[in-house]
Amino acid sequence: MSTTGHKTWPKLTSRDEFQFIAEQVLKRSTGDHTLVALHDQHSGTTRFANNQIVQNVDTRRGSLRVTVAFGRRHGTAGTTDFTAGAVQETVTRATQIAHLSPDDPEYLPPVEPQPYLTLPTTRAETAAAGPARRLEYTNEAIGQCRMENLCAAGIVSSSIATVGVAASTGLFAHEERTDARFSLTVQAGEATGWGAAAHRSIDHLRVQERTLTAIDKAKRGLEVREMPPGRYTVILEPAAVAGLWSSLLWTLDAKSYEKGTSAFSGKLGQPIVDKRLTLRNLPAHEDLLGIGFTADGLPTMASDWIVEGVLKQLAYDRFTAKVRGIDQIPTLDAPCLSGSGASLPGLQELIKSTERAILVTNFWYIRTVNPTDLTLTGMTRDGTFLVENGAIVSAVKNFRFHESPLRAFNRIEAFTNQAEAITSETGKFLVPAMTLRDFNFSSVTRF
Amino acid sequence: MPAHPNPNQDELAELALKRVVASGAEYGDVRLLDSTTQTIRGEDRRIASIQDMQDRGFGIRVLYHGAWGFAASSVLSLEEAPRVAELAIEIAKGSASLVIEKVKLADEPVHRDRIVTARRIDPFAVALDKKTALLLETMEYVHRQAGIVRSSASLWARRDRKLFVSTEGSRLEFDLLAVNGDFDATAVHDGRFASRSFNTPHLRMGYELIEDANFLAEAPRIASQAVEKVKAPTTEPGLYDLVLDPEHLSLTMHESCGHPSELDRALGYEANYAGTSFLTTEQRGTFRYGSPHVNLVADNREPETLAATGYDDDGVACQQWDIVRDGIFVGYCTNREVALKIGETRSRGSNRADSWGSVPIVRIANIGLEPGAATLDELLADVKRGIYIEGHGSYSIDQRRYNFQFGGDAFWLIENGKRTYMVRDVIYHGITPEFWGSCDGVADRSHRRRYGFITCGKGQPGQSGWMTHAASHARFRNVNVIEGRSGS
Repeated sequence: MSTTGHKTWPKLTSRDEFQFIAEQVLKRSTGDHTLVALHDQHSGTTRFANNQIVQNVDTRRGSLRVTVAFGRRHGTAGTTDFTAGAVQETVTRATQIAHLSPDDPEYLPPVEPQPYLTLPTTRAETAAAGPARRLEYTNEAIGQCRMENLCAAGIVSSSIATVGVAASTGLFAHEERTDARFSLTVQAGEATGWGAAAHRSIDHLRVQERTLTAIDKAKRGLEVREMPPGRYTVILEPAAVAGLWSSLLWTLDAKSYEKGTSAFSGKLGQPIVDKRLTLRNLPAHEDLLGIGFTADGLPTMASDWIVEGVLKQLAYDRFTAKVRGIDQIPTLDAPCLSGSGASLPGLQELIKSTERAILVTNFWYIRTVNPTDLTLTGMTRDGTFLVENGAIVSAVKNFRFHESPLRAFNRIEAFTNQAEAITSETGKFLVPAMTLRDFNFSSVTRF
Repeated sequence: MPAHPNPNQDELAELALKRVVASGAEYGDVRLLDSTTQTIRGEDRRIASIQDMQDRGFGIRVLYHGAWGFAASSVLSLEEAPRVAELAIEIAKGSASLVIEKVKLADEPVHRDRIVTARRIDPFAVALDKKTALLLETMEYVHRQAGIVRSSASLWARRDRKLFVSTEGSRLEFDLLAVNGDFDATAVHDGRFASRSFNTPHLRMGYELIEDANFLAEAPRIASQAVEKVKAPTTEPGLYDLVLDPEHLSLTMHESCGHPSELDRALGYEANYAGTSFLTTEQRGTFRYGSPHVNLVADNREPETLAATGYDDDGVACQQWDIVRDGIFVGYCTNREVALKIGETRSRGSNRADSWGSVPIVRIANIGLEPGAATLDELLADVKRGIYIEGHGSYSIDQRRYNFQFGGDAFWLIENGKRTYMVRDVIYHGITPEFWGSCDGVADRSHRRRYGFITCGKGQPGQSGWMTHAASHARFRNVNVIEGRSGS
């Protein structure tokens, strides 16, 4: 097999083809407003465990979604069949639903044509990658682990998608998006180490480096000690920071805020985290997975969400934004958390500067315990260590935490420059590693 | 617009399988799936969206020299079928280059069958305005209660028409339905908010599930309990006896018994994502999972349950077997690949994919807690200080399924054998075998209820598993209840 330009990859729906489909939909619709959305994706994942491939999949899925509205009555139908008859039938189904729907007082017509930024959402090397390229990276990760007599489990994936939205208002948007991912769990008996990456470019996954990091963590876990539950100073690696921030960002929706059913109610314009922290959306950043437009066809944009610890922005649906007189709705597709003031270059320097702490590689199964104060719970996973006098001295059994990020991120001791972070439960972030004091570990598990 | 005439599904499957056979592969199968999903979602007294989605495509699985390849496409054409088959073969050959232990499949008889979900009322034939009227009226009833600030209500129905054909000669046709409805109410009080939910179980039946659920009769109770919940006192942390209702137990069983009984997890297949299992293979038959009151049975044959599809996506007939018998761990959920690895000669038939575009993986079966002999009143009567919990709330568990923490949807304090007033912010924590070891009573069959799950996450790329868990109420002694907030 060649490593690029796999011969059997099908052609996805191009801009011209989507324009043609959209014209057909809009011509056939009798609605007052019509919106058509495209998502056509070709993706592949090579999955390995016990040092061999256990799944190796390749899927092409194209889908169209049509929304038709009469006044404030609207209906949506979707199909994966792009034949002329199926597209017509989809328009008919959406029309029938709209006719039978009650008035929706919050319905808004599709947005007018918008200016979009041209963002680096696609990389040719990822678009050209196929099963052979994924196999190459898989072989590299497994090979490193075999040499150390360790056991590898993980994935290498790559995808390309064409995404579009068009409407009877004249709105039209179309872009290609590529995505490549690598994640690896190395098992050394009972001990595990982990590393992961996601990027628009498959060349940027740094498979060897991340494999060596995961191997190092697994090997350090061979001797493990049990620490009692309690409040500890913690060093959170970027993935662990991203896990907590992901839960925080999910709850920023403006409608809940207005109704008093948000942990942030009444806190807009108020400090919610340490004043050294600022959260921005940076869709043009090449190490984030920003997109050009939303499913509504709204342009994404760089925006400030938390500035020097103060909550500046909420996640608005179009109706709530209109009620509040907000013309441009900020998006949160490419979050970047940064610290101001003295920061350390990286994780190693943070460890060296710490007298005693628990180092957390990653969190797992983070869930809300109390939505009123945003208390979360979750487990540490795949590399939890005791740091003393600037060095890792042993692995420790995994802890369950019981903590609100709104409290935890007001107890920052130190932080690093931003780094890329992705977990199996979060989108991609740029975040610093951080040292937090008095982090609440409520119980310990058996490994 | 590209023209892809939908060919006869048998012709497409035959074309694909011919390529697989010609490649020298030892096994192959084709799944064609045509799914229709209708979702009606109400929010705050309005119908926020009505969606009718059709999802069609096919997937081809190839086992070549002991290694898997899989390719799938939503383009249903006679040109696409051989392309996808060739790609699956090529991918399998790539996998074979890294094989250490060749995949072998447990034997299964050839099946030729057609499975149809029994239904009284086709959910897709029920008038849309009747459904939206039900949701709007339900939300109106909810908002009549003072203190309610938000509501939601939804109806969901899915029809899957599937054809499975394998190189071994099996040919299985499916016409499956599943239905669900729910609503909730959110109240605010003194700067806090709390929700109370009502859910029909996800079941394989018709719209009669919704009609029998009687949303309008339940709505005032749910709204009233949401207000009572938000005003309720908190609980003191400490050790409590818990009496858990069947809906709540369905999630506890799912997380702490269902997942660890998946053999692929125990063998390390999910080490990078969903995790492994504390129920390691050498413990089968000897490990004390729970008290002698605990009998957990997998039954993929019980009518109306989600995993009772006649056959799984290996083409293996659905079965019933023990997971835990008299408190001892005795059985796993398996597929044709992993069953042989623990010396079993036949798969348990628990290999399922969530779409045509996904490869089947081992999924939790319909695991249920066998009824005991007590009544609910008898379980409560023997509790001096405890908490009665209904429904689902917060849940989290470690990747080997030892350390868990669960909330619930509603909580009542039990004092001197009686359920008294509601309390809030209850979270209990446990270690799985210790928790199930503390079970000292299960209610009788008259209390048995079933709850279905359709969002069980596993696999990379992620897939949603479907299964049903049934239980009667059960009592657990001296469980650690912790504060449902993080403190200062």
